Amino acid sequence: MTAEQEPEKRVKVVYCGGCNPHIDRTAVAADLPADDPDVGPGATVHVSGCPRACASDHLLTSDDPGTVVVAGELVDGVPTSASELAPTVTRKLKE
Amino acid sequence: MTLRTPEEFVQSIADLHLQIYMFGEKVDDYVNHPVIKPSLNCISMTYELARQPEYEDLMLATSHLTGKKVNRFSHIHQSTDDLSKKVKMQRLLGQKTGSCFQRCVGMDAINALYSVTYEIDQAKGTEYHQRFKKYVQFLQENDLVADGAMTDPKGDRGLAPHQQPDPDMYLHIVEKRDDGIVVRGAKAHQTGACNSHEIIVMPTVAMREGDEDYAVSFSCPANAEGVYYIYGRQSCDTRKLEGNDLDVGNAQFGGQEALMVFDDVFVPWDRVYLCGEIEFSGAVVERFAGYHRQSYGGCKVGVGDVLIGAAATAADMNGAAKASHIKDKLIEMTHLNETLFSCGLACSYEGVKMPAGNYQIDMLLANVCKQNVTRFPYEIARLAEDIAGGLMVTMPSAQDLADEKIGPIVEKYLVGQCDTPTIDRMRILRLVENLTLGTAAVGYRTESMHGAGSPQAQRIMIARQSNINHKKDLAKALAGVGKPWDRGKAKVPTAVSAD
Repeated sequence: MTAEQEPEKRVKVVYCGGCNPHIDRTAVAADLPADDPDVGPGATVHVSGCPRACASDHLLTSDDPGTVVVAGELVDGVPTSASELAPTVTRKLKE
Repeated sequence: MTLRTPEEFVQSIADLHLQIYMFGEKVDDYVNHPVIKPSLNCISMTYELARQPEYEDLMLATSHLTGKKVNRFSHIHQSTDDLSKKVKMQRLLGQKTGSCFQRCVGMDAINALYSVTYEIDQAKGTEYHQRFKKYVQFLQENDLVADGAMTDPKGDRGLAPHQQPDPDMYLHIVEKRDDGIVVRGAKAHQTGACNSHEIIVMPTVAMREGDEDYAVSFSCPANAEGVYYIYGRQSCDTRKLEGNDLDVGNAQFGGQEALMVFDDVFVPWDRVYLCGEIEFSGAVVERFAGYHRQSYGGCKVGVGDVLIGAAATAADMNGAAKASHIKDKLIEMTHLNETLFSCGLACSYEGVKMPAGNYQIDMLLANVCKQNVTRFPYEIARLAEDIAGGLMVTMPSAQDLADEKIGPIVEKYLVGQCDTPTIDRMRILRLVENLTLGTAAVGYRTESMHGAGSPQAQRIMIARQSNINHKKDLAKALAGVGKPWDRGKAKVPTAVSAD
């Protein structure tokens, strides 16, 4: 079961269930550019607490453009320190 | 090419004319050597079952490279279902052979290198991944066995590869040429190497600056010029030279390890998958080890099934099957064995799709799996020896049983439960001996300890992924650590009246 953020935000966040998080998932989501006009429509960020990537159905990357996968300290499968998760996702969403 | 038959497989290994040495002599007709033959039979079983419809679901997979059915041992996992079927296939083969069937190392090597080569290319602009995909397709289309060769002799464990007094303690590049590289060194404990068509070499540790020549991965034919093998001894191995099927315990199947030497072997560039990129050698080691630690949650469980069955049969033949402590020991053995299987499946079901597109097991659970494998088979073996009784190590030989004069005496005094022929009781006790301290104990016990990495290697990985700070936070939150404390609310409890 996943929970979704408010629909009016430009970035849709899909959380995993949070059974064993290695990162603060809500802190990562809070730092995303939810209202930034540079982010294209339909942006989605899957935020899983650990590398098992349950929020994205065990996929470390997504084929969908505008979708970024955070799984513990990984962004789209690339090791990323906890403090760099949100900035890295933001950069990707604006690319 | 379609799937090979077992006979075609054995002939293809004979055709390689490998350079194999055993007991100080070169072995020419190695496919018929009584010490080696049982290990070939194990790999033949991976070909035989793949041709039987009732095992196809586990033994075959659909290649993502060609869309054709291939033996699962040369498949790149495409889903968590593939990962779990791998474990189930390994349990099946452990059951059928009661041995290490040797083909897992190649499967685990191709899956580890598949994702790492992709990531190197992404970071460095190299072309390793395309090369490697072509190589995997070559393995699949020709239904080949590949040996995954990781463990270097390592010399002084306190020194880095480039610091060793003898530079050959880790396999390394001695020359780079326009057409390829020349490598020298050795790989130790090579399971099934003498039964393989191909060798896939990987580094054995994470490398640092100065180790560039040691950060090398490549493949070569098992009969490449300069490659030779020194066959590893196993406990009781010369019983296979005695020509009877009783004292060996398992006459059909067995494992195999060898010291594989690379004496200035040339490797063309299209077979090179890592060449000096030190920062990626650790990923190769971790991923290969992770897949192989998952493997043990299948293969050792299958062998465990055989040992539990042997112990239960020995109890029947001893006339002790109804004793409550025997039943309880068999339950304990089953509990331990199924726990290993649970770990193998759990790390499969929690696997993830990597950026390269293949699926990788959950690393933490795979390491937990292997950590249990370093312990539980020993306890299962201990209980099997307990149930079997001391006769398994004090029995007279097959030659004594066959002797005209003393044979009937052996038969008379070794009888157990009335309906059991003595020869059958001896056979099952020899199988328990084979698995717990004979040739198969190499695979079931010591390989469980050190194969895919010794126990401490798993503990390091478990520590790295244990998420201990989260656990501390959970405990602190429930205990109220850091909350202000009101002394006034601390009252002496009063008795509650029954009225």
